[in-house]
Amino acid sequence: MSNTKTISTEQRGVIIQKNNGIFTVLTETGKRNCSLLPSLRRKSGGDLAVGDAVTLDAAGQINALLPRRNWISRRAAAPMPGAHTHEQLIAANIDQVVPVFAAANPRPAWHLLDRYLVSAESAEIPALVVITKFDLASGRPEGDEIEQVAAEYRAVGYPVLLTSTLDGSGLEAFRAALHGKRSLLVGKSGVGKTSLLNALEPGLGLRVQAANAVTGKGRHTTTASTLFPLAAGGAVIDTPGIREFGLWDVDSADLAWFFPEMRPHLGRCRFGAGCRHAEEPGCAVRKAVTDGLVSPYRYQSYLKLRYDP
Amino acid sequence: MTNITFAQRTYTRSKGQQNTFGDFTCVHCGRLVQAHELFSGVRNRNHCPHCLSSRHLDLYAAGDRLAACKGRMQPAALTLKHDGNKYRCDSGELMLVHICDDCGKLSINRIAADDDNERLLQVFYASQQLDSATCAVLARAGITPLDARQRELVQRRLWGGK
Repeated sequence: MSNTKTISTEQRGVIIQKNNGIFTVLTETGKRNCSLLPSLRRKSGGDLAVGDAVTLDAAGQINALLPRRNWISRRAAAPMPGAHTHEQLIAANIDQVVPVFAAANPRPAWHLLDRYLVSAESAEIPALVVITKFDLASGRPEGDEIEQVAAEYRAVGYPVLLTSTLDGSGLEAFRAALHGKRSLLVGKSGVGKTSLLNALEPGLGLRVQAANAVTGKGRHTTTASTLFPLAAGGAVIDTPGIREFGLWDVDSADLAWFFPEMRPHLGRCRFGAGCRHAEEPGCAVRKAVTDGLVSPYRYQSYLKLRYDP
Repeated sequence: MTNITFAQRTYTRSKGQQNTFGDFTCVHCGRLVQAHELFSGVRNRNHCPHCLSSRHLDLYAAGDRLAACKGRMQPAALTLKHDGNKYRCDSGELMLVHICDDCGKLSINRIAADDDNERLLQVFYASQQLDSATCAVLARAGITPLDARQRELVQRRLWGGK
């Protein structure tokens, strides 16, 4: 749609793509490429994200950011160890976070999953875990392991879907889980986020590439976060592959609360709310781990996030 | 939450706390312990060479650092590592048996080159008076502690000679 179209009154819209300071905004009249009003850029630091609701002035510039319901952000990757870092917004106003992991190529990095889940818990956004390329692991020891990990996360309360775009397994359940919600797909490069979206909405025809055959790593094909409305209702925000996901604004003292299986045991330690659940004697969380109520891998993730958020 | 069985992964989900593999201060006797292979003669320094105590840090495999117990592991007995697949009292390398004070987990570990031989001998003598419950636990795990008849064997292994 033309950017020169005159708008008589202020329009509302949703940012569906952000690219080098240019925002694609979906309004009632269609998509518009907009820039940020300089005064708003100074006020907000230009930090708008896909999913943000905004208003446009008559010239088609974004002049106001409407209040956010929620948002997901990460600690921006530091250029060198110890360098100053800042918050990097990923998406706003979302109904569920969908961490996507491949069963193989690249192999799952489970500690990264715990980072996503803690981030979603801290933003009070439900999460749905999706494992892609399950056809590569099915019937092999890796497949058994993934099913067992999936059972652990289901027991915690997170739905886990095992999918394959090759044989179509799990796609209907995934489609049903997305229905009527605005979902954020996050994951490493090459796990198949965009392929999932193509399988759900074949008309999109988004560009995908196979993972590197030697390293099993992705090729960073998707380069910008984009919101795609789904024909069946709801929308999906596809994001570029994320190599690292540092937690932002998560207090280490509250970290255990963001592990739902640890919540029943919090406050029951000998040192009460002051317990760090690391070395303290009489720790109820450590006892829950040794009693088999909390996964030792999740507990290890907790410790790791506590020392390296 | 339902009780789930957590089995060992073919690859770990977390790199764990890598810094726990270096030199450390023994939490029981407070002495600095050098973890380097040059001092101990073993790649994985498992216990303090002075008091022979250890900590319950590993769950499924040596070095995985997945155990949440972190209790003190007391040296309980000496045994021999048979060349085959079981610990028996006939031949093989002298091994140190640890038992966790908190959860009762058993662990069998190599004796390092810088371990205190006198202390090892004390453990051997003390193990002759193990209570029946501990003996039963060791028997269930297929571990035969060395008894008084093997005193000369233990001394030979610790100080050499024929």
